[in-house]
Amino acid sequence: MQSTAVQNASQNSLYEQVAETFGSALDRLARAYELDAEARRDLLQDIHLQLWRSFTYFDQRCSLRTWVYRVAHNVATKHVMRQRRIRDRLVNIENFDFLPGSDQAELAASDTEALGRLSMLIQRLKPLDRQIIVSYLEGMDASSIGEITGLSAANISMKVHRIKNILKRWFGEGELHAE
Amino acid sequence: MQNELPMNDPRGIWQNQPKEPFRMSVDQMRLKAHRFQMKARFKVLYAITIGVSISVFFGWNCIRAQEVLSRMGFGLLSVSGIYFAYQAYKWIWPSNLPQDAPASTSLEFYRSELERRRDYSQHVWRRSGLTFCFLGLALVIAPALIASFYNPRLLVNTVPFFLLLTVWFVAFLYVKKRGQNRLQQEIDELRTFETDGGS
Repeated sequence: MQSTAVQNASQNSLYEQVAETFGSALDRLARAYELDAEARRDLLQDIHLQLWRSFTYFDQRCSLRTWVYRVAHNVATKHVMRQRRIRDRLVNIENFDFLPGSDQAELAASDTEALGRLSMLIQRLKPLDRQIIVSYLEGMDASSIGEITGLSAANISMKVHRIKNILKRWFGEGELHAE
Repeated sequence: MQNELPMNDPRGIWQNQPKEPFRMSVDQMRLKAHRFQMKARFKVLYAITIGVSISVFFGWNCIRAQEVLSRMGFGLLSVSGIYFAYQAYKWIWPSNLPQDAPASTSLEFYRSELERRRDYSQHVWRRSGLTFCFLGLALVIAPALIASFYNPRLLVNTVPFFLLLTVWFVAFLYVKKRGQNRLQQEIDELRTFETDGGS
């Protein structure tokens, strides 16, 4: 009985800590998986709920940050997989150039437009590549992305390189951050 | 026009995007978890009710049927209703993430989701009780079909139905096969990534 109470307290305090530290990042992550505001709110709630639940069996095999991103991405992936119409049209980053409208020659006129364009790019990708681009945009290095996704450093580097090229074309980015 | 705003920095745009205030207390979380469970149970109960209703309806027809073949057909359709209810209970109930999901990497999780989908598609006949259903339907219409041999006009009237059924069946198999191939291709790609990661 006492151990259950301790476990609950630990679960709650971990959740509070995570909501405080990663709240904004989780918000952005949800945006990468759902454009519709109402559905995104539901997704975000689901992510928070599954995170809270997951802390009952958080065994510190990985860092808290890695755990949080894994759970969040996995919940969001499940969300995408449920939407058949959307799911079947997603592409790998390697095939992105073959999509109609993937060639964005002009620069965005405002932040909102640029964010919309970025969101559109992300929404076209398959879950795994979406996780990589989101992690890259969050400023993570290759080894952190590897921990979350389970891909090798070489694969991450290759995909990040591809992502950088696309971003460069879409946003006219001068100096991209080398990881 | 040259862009002077920080719009050429996707990371900055991404990280500084407007936030939607979201906060859930632990009590709200508990309430949400409870509602989530209730919703899942309601879904299962709904599916079970449909299955049982189908079963009762065809069971009633089974009792009333005169022909042996029809009786067997309605009996099978009744069983398919029960089977549907059982499968709904088995597959809809665990609507949470599996216990080990958070510990798995995104790659493992995504692959397992694709495999689950592929397996579901492979066994869709068994899982949705379609085998019982079609066999039952075949038995129910068998007496009418036999009778139509003595009345070719009746047989001609049923031709469009069977034609449509055949077209649907071929299209169903084609779409199913194509979907499975696509899923398998993606699973294989992910397995290559896993091998690369392990080496």
